[in-house]
Amino acid sequence: MKQAGNKHINSFLNSFYKFKRDINRWSFATLFILLLIAVPVFTIGIELFDGPGESWSHITAYLLPSYLKNSLYLAILCSITTILFGVSSAWLVTRYEFPLRKIVEFLLIIPLAIPSYIVAYAYAGFFDYGGVYADFMLWFGVAKAKIDLMNVFGLAFVLSVSLFPYVYVSSRAFFLNQAVNLLEASRLLGVSERKSFLKLILPLARPAVVAGLVLVIMEVLNDYGAAQYFGVNTFTTGIFRSWFALEEPETAIYLSALLLILVFGLILFEKWHRRKIQYSSVKSANSKTNSRIVLPKFQQYLISIVVLIPVVLGFFIPVLQLLIWAYKTADSFMNQSLLWLSFQSFGIAFITAFFTVFFALVLLYFSKWNKIVAVQHAAKLGVLGYAIPGAVVAIGVMIPTLFIDKYLIEKGLITQFLINGTLIALVYAYVVRFLAVAYQPLESSSLKVSNSIPDSSKILGMGNFKTFLKIEFPLIRAGMLSAFILVFIDTLKELPLTLILKPYHINTLAVKAYQFASDEMVMHAAIPSLFIILTALIPVIFLNKLLLKNE
Amino acid sequence: MKNSVYFLLLFVILFSCKSENNSKEDESTSKEINVYTHRHYESDQALFKTFEEQSGIKVNVINASADELIQKMVLEGEQSPADVLITVDAGRLHRAKEKDLLQPISNATIDSILPSYLKDVDNHWFALTKRARVLVYAKDRVDPLELSSYENLADPKWENRIVVRSSSNIYNQSLMASIIANDGEENAKKWAAAVVNNMARSPKGNDRDQVKAVAAGEADIAIVNTYYIGKMLNSEDQTELDAAQKVAVFFPNQNGRGTHVNVSGIGVAKHAPNKKAAEQFIEYLLSEEAQQIFASSNYEYPVHPNVENAPILKSWGSFKEDNLNLSKLGELNKKAVILFDEAGWK
Repeated sequence: MKQAGNKHINSFLNSFYKFKRDINRWSFATLFILLLIAVPVFTIGIELFDGPGESWSHITAYLLPSYLKNSLYLAILCSITTILFGVSSAWLVTRYEFPLRKIVEFLLIIPLAIPSYIVAYAYAGFFDYGGVYADFMLWFGVAKAKIDLMNVFGLAFVLSVSLFPYVYVSSRAFFLNQAVNLLEASRLLGVSERKSFLKLILPLARPAVVAGLVLVIMEVLNDYGAAQYFGVNTFTTGIFRSWFALEEPETAIYLSALLLILVFGLILFEKWHRRKIQYSSVKSANSKTNSRIVLPKFQQYLISIVVLIPVVLGFFIPVLQLLIWAYKTADSFMNQSLLWLSFQSFGIAFITAFFTVFFALVLLYFSKWNKIVAVQHAAKLGVLGYAIPGAVVAIGVMIPTLFIDKYLIEKGLITQFLINGTLIALVYAYVVRFLAVAYQPLESSSLKVSNSIPDSSKILGMGNFKTFLKIEFPLIRAGMLSAFILVFIDTLKELPLTLILKPYHINTLAVKAYQFASDEMVMHAAIPSLFIILTALIPVIFLNKLLLKNE
Repeated sequence: MKNSVYFLLLFVILFSCKSENNSKEDESTSKEINVYTHRHYESDQALFKTFEEQSGIKVNVINASADELIQKMVLEGEQSPADVLITVDAGRLHRAKEKDLLQPISNATIDSILPSYLKDVDNHWFALTKRARVLVYAKDRVDPLELSSYENLADPKWENRIVVRSSSNIYNQSLMASIIANDGEENAKKWAAAVVNNMARSPKGNDRDQVKAVAAGEADIAIVNTYYIGKMLNSEDQTELDAAQKVAVFFPNQNGRGTHVNVSGIGVAKHAPNKKAAEQFIEYLLSEEAQQIFASSNYEYPVHPNVENAPILKSWGSFKEDNLNLSKLGELNKKAVILFDEAGWK
């Protein structure tokens, strides 16, 4: 007995010593940053202990089964199509030369800039009676042509064409930086191009593809506007229904938490599945620049056509519809200050993207430098904000920040709210919500940096910071730029959170577009939406240049 | 990298300058009003601007759904900057009152304009405009003599002929609440289930889409709000215009309790920092001048007795309104949603 007792004490002491040895300032720093980011999410989590409200049985009986089924359909269908569109186009633009390549390369990012509910309206209008499609069919003598997209498959289609750029951006960053060297080697060994792609590049691209896919799935799960318009009830419909219509915020929070667990489970499953594979590889300093394959003209045209499919579906058709509407409604915008709105939107998106990328970097590297595995895992909790509907995040942000504001007012330190109703609360909420958007591409690009490089640098006496700045930073630059672009665009079009938390004197294009759309003046939403796209083009073009310079 | 830091600094400075200017202004004149509103209409923004010019009071607007605004006010508590809450249905105002977010206002000007059924019994909120939820029918396929009441829509003769939007929509919830209030829970549930049976397609789209579906022959009857038809008849889009011209408006339940009417309304926040300005604001929104704009540019029914309906609305004729106490709609809202779910109304 005594021996057994000693054993326990020994093993406990051992783990304690191990803990004491491993814990360093980075462990604390990680936890602190994590706390900052995750407080709103945790605030929501705490409510869980109260359990769902009395409508819970009503919801499980009448609503959940169909809501779950729809959400599941959407997630699966969108995963398949976004991978198909995203990976194929990313590979073709990095590997082959073809007409229009340079334009197509960034046009493939733009669909992300159109809010998905606007894409939904645009497509519905395009295929509706009297729409472009109907006019087109009239030439062939078909009267009253209409394609009904307003069902779960139509919704999956619309969400896919507006979200595939997530997969495109992350896999392209991988292909640009890594794939070419590997491919060169594989070709030297006599393996065919196709086989190398399927057997070597594709498996290695997995973390990058998954990084984009996780964002797609999270976005699909919490889409509300498009789903509501198409009459498809999803999990998020349930959250809003129980929150507002049934007046039970606790039930809504319970549902959000279930959604969180689902998404987190998905992330963990993927990590577990690829646990044994090491993805890091050394990128030699004098790696050759990416030389694209120049195929015969006919095949080049073929590639152009393949790559143009997602561009046409995600960009040209919605934009064409928006332009038609813009033309019809242009008169009512003559004296509107759309430029000032664009400037404000740009500013907010810029600030948000900067802070979000910064915090994502800090979280990622602090947790790396800390040696406790549990803390490393915990850092991943920071990305959960993206899985919760924006309106719920807003509430999660308001609860703790109002606590601080009210405390300060009570103490007589301030007379008005310092955090709420100012940019601070808004940007903070954006960071909480979009951290995943920055974290995913950063993490996947940092995975590719072999540990041996920073390790040898540290052995040579350089500190964590110096190693990061001199060695890792240049290597993950492409990932950082992608992260910045994605967060920027996401912020530009963000809606429910902006509505609830924005200061009075600030207005964004997305808010303007929404005001029209919610009043069923969909056509009038076209011009602000087009301005969102124009504003999004600025960083896309600018940063794309930087990304290519990296090449 | 360096450039982006400079950019960032520039923006932060620009934004903070702007907000600083604002707060200075506030201190010297202390004339402003913070409006939490669910109404997103262009005409409202024009109205707010005119009020600013006439009164010198700056109007700060937060635009979101009423539910979100109510949640925001609850969380902000006593320090909430909100002065007034504007919603597009009486149910939400009732809910705000229940949550103790509004305060009673006794104002002679307001009382002289509004009849008692268009305001809260305790003067916690006031109607700004009225909208009726009516039937529109395809002129070429439906004889208006066949139509009579909301209840009549449950008749099997309408099988596959009705379109209506989802039950998530507040206007449908209010209609259902009024049916519960008039016919009782059991009957209301049966009614909803029968209407679901008669639907030509599962609920989707907005009110305008329902009108378009009727015009295109997908269905014969749609349940929609009046002002959408007004707007469609004045649309820049030929398709919408054509669609609206193919249908006619029918006011149901004219031989009984009257057509279901809901209001868009306003209440003063319990902890309003600018209560005087808030009252002045409401007086303005109820003035003939403002009511004229609500009526003519947004095709809503004005609440001011001296203001006439828009010509389009007049052409539909006058109608008998259901005078059900509007607070009832708020009380029965949750019940309405539950019955919708049970009846399978998506």
